[in-house]
Amino acid sequence: MIRCEDILREVSELLDDEITAEMRIQIETHLCACRHCKVLVDTTRKTLTLVSSYTVLELPEGVSARLLDRLAKHMESGPSQ
Amino acid sequence: MNQHGAVADKLTDEELVQRVQRGDKDAFGVLVKRHERSVYWMIEAILHNQADSEEILQESFLKALQHIGDFRGESRFATWLIRIAINEARMRQRKYRPGQYESLDEEKSEDSDFHPRELSDWRPSPEQEVAQEEVARLLRRAIQSLPEIYRQVFVLRDVQHLSTEETAAALGITIPATKTRLLRARLMAREFLAPHFKSSAQPGRAVL
Ligand SMILES: [Zn+2]
Repeated sequence: MIRCEDILREVSELLDDEITAEMRIQIETHLCACRHCKVLVDTTRKTLTLVSSYTVLELPEGVSARLLDRLAKHMESGPSQ
Repeated sequence: MNQHGAVADKLTDEELVQRVQRGDKDAFGVLVKRHERSVYWMIEAILHNQADSEEILQESFLKALQHIGDFRGESRFATWLIRIAINEARMRQRKYRPGQYESLDEEKSEDSDFHPRELSDWRPSPEQEVAQEEVARLLRRAIQSLPEIYRQVFVLRDVQHLSTEETAAALGITIPATKTRLLRARLMAREFLAPHFKSSAQPGRAVL
């Protein structure tokens, strides 16, 4: 029988779909009976969905332009460095 | 570097690298656009400082450009580039805070139990009920709240979508360590976000 601690340990690989079919069935069975773990898995999944659906990590103002600028200057001056 | 247009945008990183190696400088611009965010935030996870991170970002891309002739496609370009950036950032870090860098790599207490505290369910789709900028800001804060070793893994795996193997290779850690850190990082990020997305919270606003 799978216990709550096992779910906590497996949640990451469950969400990455890196577990065996038998393990998945055991986990699903546990989740049907244990609201605590169901919430844990659901909210962790939601966390990952949110993180990937957002362009969370835009660059601070001007960073991109200054980077291109410096690279352009370097290219103009040739590979002298 | 002018816009190279839709054609270059559809090329893979590796095809772009080959173009750069044949002297096509615009192709490098496309690579920069594609990877500047991941490289910057990776560096920022190590240095925690915008000015230094920006400088190291520039140094990293300059170094990549200088050494692009050595890139042989044994790893993905993204992994190769991230490794350069991590290396540059760590050199900077050692210069400022000698002795501190080593302790960050210790795999201390990673096997100790983590007990999630916040366990009420979330609203069905927080992204539809909370203003977009607020969600983005919360996610940023969640990522920044993670301790460095967890943040690095989280940024590479869940923000940049590198594979576990690529993440391990980029950080120079084992695959089991990568998985352990990723699990911990995800649980910590979830815990940070939970109070803001709880189903009992007032609809329409994140609790800030
Ligand atoms: Zn349970």
